[in-house]
Amino acid sequence: MKHYNHIIRCILLLVIVVIGFFIARGALVPESFGVHGTYTYGYHRGDSAAEQADRYALYQGSTKCITCHAEQSLLWQPGRHAAVSCESCHGNWQAHNNNTSATIEKDNSVETCMLCHRKLNARPSTFPQIPEFGRHLADQDEQLQQGMLCVDCHDPHDPM
Amino acid sequence: MNNDRREFLKQTGWTVLGGSVYITLFSLLPGSSRAATATQHLYAFIVDTEKCIGCGKCVDACKRENSVPEDFYRTWIERYTILEDGTVTVDSPKGGSAGFNPVKTAGPVEKSFFVPKLCNHCRNPNCVQVCPVGATYVTKEGFVLVDEKHCVGCSYCVMACPYGARFVNPHTHTADKCTWCYHRIMQGHTTACVSVCPTRARLFGRVDDPQSSVYTILKKNRLQVLKPETGNEPLTMYIGLDKEVR
Repeated sequence: MKHYNHIIRCILLLVIVVIGFFIARGALVPESFGVHGTYTYGYHRGDSAAEQADRYALYQGSTKCITCHAEQSLLWQPGRHAAVSCESCHGNWQAHNNNTSATIEKDNSVETCMLCHRKLNARPSTFPQIPEFGRHLADQDEQLQQGMLCVDCHDPHDPM
Repeated sequence: MNNDRREFLKQTGWTVLGGSVYITLFSLLPGSSRAATATQHLYAFIVDTEKCIGCGKCVDACKRENSVPEDFYRTWIERYTILEDGTVTVDSPKGGSAGFNPVKTAGPVEKSFFVPKLCNHCRNPNCVQVCPVGATYVTKEGFVLVDEKHCVGCSYCVMACPYGARFVNPHTHTADKCTWCYHRIMQGHTTACVSVCPTRARLFGRVDDPQSSVYTILKKNRLQVLKPETGNEPLTMYIGLDKEVR
């Protein structure tokens, strides 16, 4: 019983440390942190998913575009580019919406069309491709001049 | 001898008691209770390599939608060129974001094709298992996400992913990867890459909804996944995958 005091002190110290640990843990670990689903794949801060779901979507799809641009949509919908979304070529809807007076991305250069239609070995052979733009011009019946663009003959909304 | 055994039993008793008190205390803490939300894998992504034309619209749209830093990619397109002598070359200039140009090859080309890649949102994601801080997880819908506020940027997950789908974002210094546009899906849109794909080479949808674009493909097509031997069970599936694709 001579050293009884020492043991009491040790236990007291241990209790303080344990209580301190739990207080600190309670303050530092977010409320929603824990197992959501299985322990292996679901141990995380539960609020994180909801925070990420809140982010604004820049690309809104063609249905949003055609509410205003009916003229283009009439050409585009029955055409061969119907599967190509407005935002594929014209940039995202939100960039246009932020400042509607700003013109949408409209690049009439040959390069814009060639991004999809340049002849490449890796492209599916059934996909329409142009091996060489100069040759393509020369192959046509009409007299075509240098400096002509794809869009001079093909309407990008309804190409033929 | 008798004395020793008594001591041993006493100590064992105390240890067991102390351990059980500790565990009980832990389970009483807020947030550590087991929530009733079970993980389901409700979505699948399908890539039809036979339709991909390598225009790079998907990569570009992804970068804009998710503010992906320059020279980093959440999705990218690889071009495989297989020569008649069996040589395989793979290139992906700027992740394919600006399209592809014709390449000069050393010999005649046997076959060539594009393979778009992205996070596979695996059923058994290695990347989640190795995270030491619980900053990456599977949502209840089956998306593999990163909690930017909790990630310490140790990049264990970057090394664990067998598909190279993850990177450390140079601005936030946290792990970053394709989220299957989680925010867009939750708001009723499709992913940015799917929405701009001109040839419908990319499809995304619910696996249990007969109206979704992937439903019939999952039922009728023969699909492959990348590196099935890893056991990750990817939910990004491919049509027309060549044996040379890694």
